[in-house]
Amino acid sequence: MKMGPSVVILGSLVVIWAAFFSVVLVPTKTISQRPSEIWRPLTEREQRGRLLFIANGCTYCHSQYVRPQDWGEGASRIAQPGDYKDQEPHLLGSERTGPDLSQDGGEHPNDWHTAHFLNPRSTRPLSLMPRFEFLGKDDVQLLTDYVQSLGGRGADYRVARQQYWKKEAVAAYNKGPDYSINWLHSKVPDVWRNMPNPYPADEGALARGREVYQIFCVGCHGPVGDGKGMAAADLMPPPLDFTSLKGRLPEGKYIGGLMYYQVMNGIVGTAMPYFKKDLESAKIWDVSNFVAANFVGRTDYRTPPFGLDASYVTPPNPTLPYAPPKGQSGGP
Amino acid sequence: MRLLSDEEHSAARRYLVSGAAWMAMAVLGGLFSAIQLFSPDTLRNISFLEFGRVRPAHTNLVLFGFVGMMLMGAGIYIVPVMLRTRLHGERLANLSMWVYNAAMVVTAISLPLGYTQGREYAEAVFPAKALLLVALLLLLYVLTMTVLNRKENLLYVSVWYVVGGVLWTAAFFPLGNVMWHPTTGALAGTVDAIWLWFYGHNIFGLFLTPLAIAIAYYVMPRVAKAPLYSHTLSLIGFWTLLAFYTHIGTHHLIQAPVPTWLKTISIIDSVGMLVPVMTVLVNLWLTTKDSLGNFTRSVPGKFIFAGAVWYLLTCVQGPLQSLPSVQRYTHFNNWVVGHAHIAVLGFSGMIALGGLWYMLPQVSGRRVYSMNLANLQFWLVSIGLSGFFVVLTIAGLTQGAAWVNGETVYRALPLIAPYMGLRLASGILIIVGAYVGLYNVVMTLRRGEPIEP
Repeated sequence: MKMGPSVVILGSLVVIWAAFFSVVLVPTKTISQRPSEIWRPLTEREQRGRLLFIANGCTYCHSQYVRPQDWGEGASRIAQPGDYKDQEPHLLGSERTGPDLSQDGGEHPNDWHTAHFLNPRSTRPLSLMPRFEFLGKDDVQLLTDYVQSLGGRGADYRVARQQYWKKEAVAAYNKGPDYSINWLHSKVPDVWRNMPNPYPADEGALARGREVYQIFCVGCHGPVGDGKGMAAADLMPPPLDFTSLKGRLPEGKYIGGLMYYQVMNGIVGTAMPYFKKDLESAKIWDVSNFVAANFVGRTDYRTPPFGLDASYVTPPNPTLPYAPPKGQSGGP
Repeated sequence: MRLLSDEEHSAARRYLVSGAAWMAMAVLGGLFSAIQLFSPDTLRNISFLEFGRVRPAHTNLVLFGFVGMMLMGAGIYIVPVMLRTRLHGERLANLSMWVYNAAMVVTAISLPLGYTQGREYAEAVFPAKALLLVALLLLLYVLTMTVLNRKENLLYVSVWYVVGGVLWTAAFFPLGNVMWHPTTGALAGTVDAIWLWFYGHNIFGLFLTPLAIAIAYYVMPRVAKAPLYSHTLSLIGFWTLLAFYTHIGTHHLIQAPVPTWLKTISIIDSVGMLVPVMTVLVNLWLTTKDSLGNFTRSVPGKFIFAGAVWYLLTCVQGPLQSLPSVQRYTHFNNWVVGHAHIAVLGFSGMIALGGLWYMLPQVSGRRVYSMNLANLQFWLVSIGLSGFFVVLTIAGLTQGAAWVNGETVYRALPLIAPYMGLRLASGILIIVGAYVGLYNVVMTLRRGEPIEP
């Protein structure tokens, strides 16, 4: 084959054109532009927030599509083509150093976002996200509006729920600690509220709980559990002071199930997020024991009712009808 | 010095020197990015150094500034030499060089200030893109006229690749950047992602790769002092590169809501990429294998041989990681970042640097100021990049495995923290290499021993 100028130039252009036609033009003309059930147009403020999102390169760490394999991380809706109607440019992203944001709207209330944009480590202590203080509060609000829109109609529903419960939670907070703690407890179902922690608060469990606390909780609830973490100044209602639970526990004694429920599901309307995706069940029980033992002064592990001891529990529960062999130590 | 010099090889020289200068600029973007991924509060609240702003500055200046300009300089030296003529329009080529540099200056300033179009590798604002396109079209004209006015009838394979690289880039660049939408530079919806990744992967496939291969085809037989092994293999490599590479963009979107048939094509053609890669590498290997010693004695030869090895690694990895089962562990994490670095710095960047040290004496009339410094640069970049690649691959697999096991992105962050530190450390070697290289280039132009004609 003789490679003259016309073969090199015209021949290669034919190949490129054919490829461009088949893998770019054909999909462009055949992909449906119909909106999905959650799609809605952005408001003017959300559109401005989106431009800030682009300008500051948020897409390099935050993708905007839930992949089929993300099901294992707790995702419930895989991205649909119709979710992206009119989005110009697309912001699908190519890397995740932070979480996917495609369905993030309404997962947190606005004040959590303010605290998080100003100092991401105040709410997520290990975050690698830059601080966006330099944008100023107005732009941070625009960014928040945009993030709250992600997920379209589904997000609108979640945002409305945050706003409704925010009012209730602030009203309860303003009536003082007795009232607000009672209000918080009343939002946990009876079976959870009156449930002792089923896991031993042994040394290993407390160490695990301590690590979980440092990775997830310390930013808001503070190193001594008094609710005066770095993020607290931006949050309303402020994070719970765990020490204020002393003498205010359900039935005067229960805390394990109560905390488990609140950590797992979060407290909507407040900055308390849900941790069901981040923490498997044993870790939630451990951090509940850690908080109870360290900041409230007692854990309800070994508070009745309880069932059989688990086979790994050492030493065994002395109130159950068997005793350790003679000459060996027993009791908690 | 005249801006639009008519001196032979002046445009090639200025393109090469610009590439070395932009390398020194671009690595700073990498440095600031890497620092923030290790210690995010170190550069806190300096808006123009914020991660999301310096990362695109880094990628764009590396792709188009450092590697792009350096390869282009070597390319416009090779074409007239192989055609036994002068560049047909040295002044226009110089104009192209200035316009190209203007595009890079606009890019380097506007991205850190937050002026971006937000699509990966297509972030630069419209004026920068328009300037770059003008520079490409000027070069295309100059190269085409040089080919048409040649004194050597036969077109050597390097000439196909240089002319092809410039021609194809001029063709896909305005399409991929949707230049008829100057404000957003984008289309709407998932279609935009398909256009973007058609463009994004063609930057590697139709811009950097052909120019780098052209230089390897030019320099390696000369260092080996042996004729090119096979014309047939050259032909197969050239046409299959074009046929396969143009179809693979959607392999960036295997898990995204785009048509399945398109994903299938992209995966098949990604695996098909083994054909052009192996053809070119086998051809070069059979050309050089009997005189490998020459490559240990020639610093430019060493750079280019290393580039070929990185090419092998990149393009074995590439087809494998296009497979959905592999992507379960590699998608969205640092594995891909490692792959991108061995492709751009390992393959095309090392070959560009080899081209720089090989061509600089030819285009400046002076011997390289210090081959020891060039050798030092080779080892700094090689060791830095090797560390970088290993560390990011481990980090990526760690993230991938954590995610597959149901851990959230946040939970995986402490697992990769040590690797982000090691990545910063490896990157610093590359940065030092860039500055050693720039110093050597400047000293060659100023103090290099003149070559007797």
